[in-house]
Amino acid sequence: MDLFEELRGLGVNIDEGLNRLGGNEALYKRLLGTFTKSIKSYSLNPDFGSDEYVEITEKAHAIKGVSGNLSITPIYEAYSQIVSLMRCDQPDKAKDVLKNVLPVQDKIVNCIEKYM
Amino acid sequence: MNKDKTILIVDDMEINRMILAEIFKDNYNIIEACDGKQAIDVINAVPDISAVLLDMVMPGVDGLGVLKEMNKKGKIKLIPVFLITAAEDEKMLLEGYNLGAVDIIQKPFMPHFLKHRINNVIELYGHRNELEKIVGEQVERLNSMNKSMIEILATAVEFRDCESGEHVRRICNLTRLLMTEVSNRYPEYYLPEPEIEKVVTSSILHDMGKIAIPDSILNKPGKLTKEEFEIMKQHTVRGYEFLRQFPNVMDEGIFNYSCDICRHHHERWDGRGYPDGLSGDDISIWAQVVSVADVYDALTSERVYKKAFSHDTAVKMIKNGECGTFNPKIIEVFEDIMNRT
Repeated sequence: MDLFEELRGLGVNIDEGLNRLGGNEALYKRLLGTFTKSIKSYSLNPDFGSDEYVEITEKAHAIKGVSGNLSITPIYEAYSQIVSLMRCDQPDKAKDVLKNVLPVQDKIVNCIEKYM
Repeated sequence: MNKDKTILIVDDMEINRMILAEIFKDNYNIIEACDGKQAIDVINAVPDISAVLLDMVMPGVDGLGVLKEMNKKGKIKLIPVFLITAAEDEKMLLEGYNLGAVDIIQKPFMPHFLKHRINNVIELYGHRNELEKIVGEQVERLNSMNKSMIEILATAVEFRDCESGEHVRRICNLTRLLMTEVSNRYPEYYLPEPEIEKVVTSSILHDMGKIAIPDSILNKPGKLTKEEFEIMKQHTVRGYEFLRQFPNVMDEGIFNYSCDICRHHHERWDGRGYPDGLSGDDISIWAQVVSVADVYDALTSERVYKKAFSHDTAVKMIKNGECGTFNPKIIEVFEDIMNRT
């Protein structure tokens, strides 16, 4: 198994992501590596308080944009939901989505790191 | 292709910048900015940016902030801006359009569509900017030709008056100096610079009506009789009537200034001038200015009926009201300009 195959198994749309980069596999791998660093630096905690709403929304928005462009679909879909819920003043539902996506996110990040 | 063109990519997320750079690097020079402030610095410093790919949500100065700054500097009309965003806030996106963004592209984007949309708009802007440049040059050429035609016409009239055409050029120069200074010094007489230039061009035609005055009067070596002077005075109205027949030959502004100057450049501040006996500021400021320029030039030039007065004598005569009363504010400016020369 290689990186792309494993990520496919985790729901990442490798073909779409590669297509976005004109088929440049080396660059795609490099960007996946950069993605793991970025997402770790954002570290969203599902127990966030009301004073963190703006910050959480901005971070989720950034993760949504990047994961969408790299076609890391499970993360993109979850963070799209989180952003929408936060903007609709539904932080509890956003927390649930965040709790559910974090294990998936960890798996994807660990997988990428294994091949770096 | 297009490698002479530059795209500015603005996004706080390095990955997004790298993906966009990868898409466009073969065809364009790429400049990256990691926030709105850096983007503004690049836009102000680098000429000929062909397009800006702008993220909306960024810390510090965001995408809307960049658009606002580009509006302030007039750059938004020259450079197409694409908002590339994951944001779905309708109000914010609409504000982006209102601030001049040409298109909004949602993340994640489809690279082929993105390429085509951006290439097409860059081409369009390129053509439009080129066309505007050509039209600007043509307008300038037409204005210049228009002015030349006016000068030729006025010089033909001057030749009948045994003048060489230098008179109109001197009137132009003095009109420009006086009008500019009067406009700067007195807010009530303010005219923007392009309007002052139109007044200057119009001053060329001030004596147009002399074309209708018989040679025997125009070139009479001695003093005119009362009857002859009455005929001579008609050059103001005749010039005005002549020009009024050609409203479409020249720029509308020049046409209006010319007609007014032609008719009223012999009016005087105290109402004792001709043909309408206007007084004070009932006489337009441009006609007042040309009056002073015309009188000064007439005094300091030799004519068939008189020798030229010296500069100092001419200034003194105008100041003392020997050639009629003028607006004191114009006389003040006139004296200052004459003291400088």
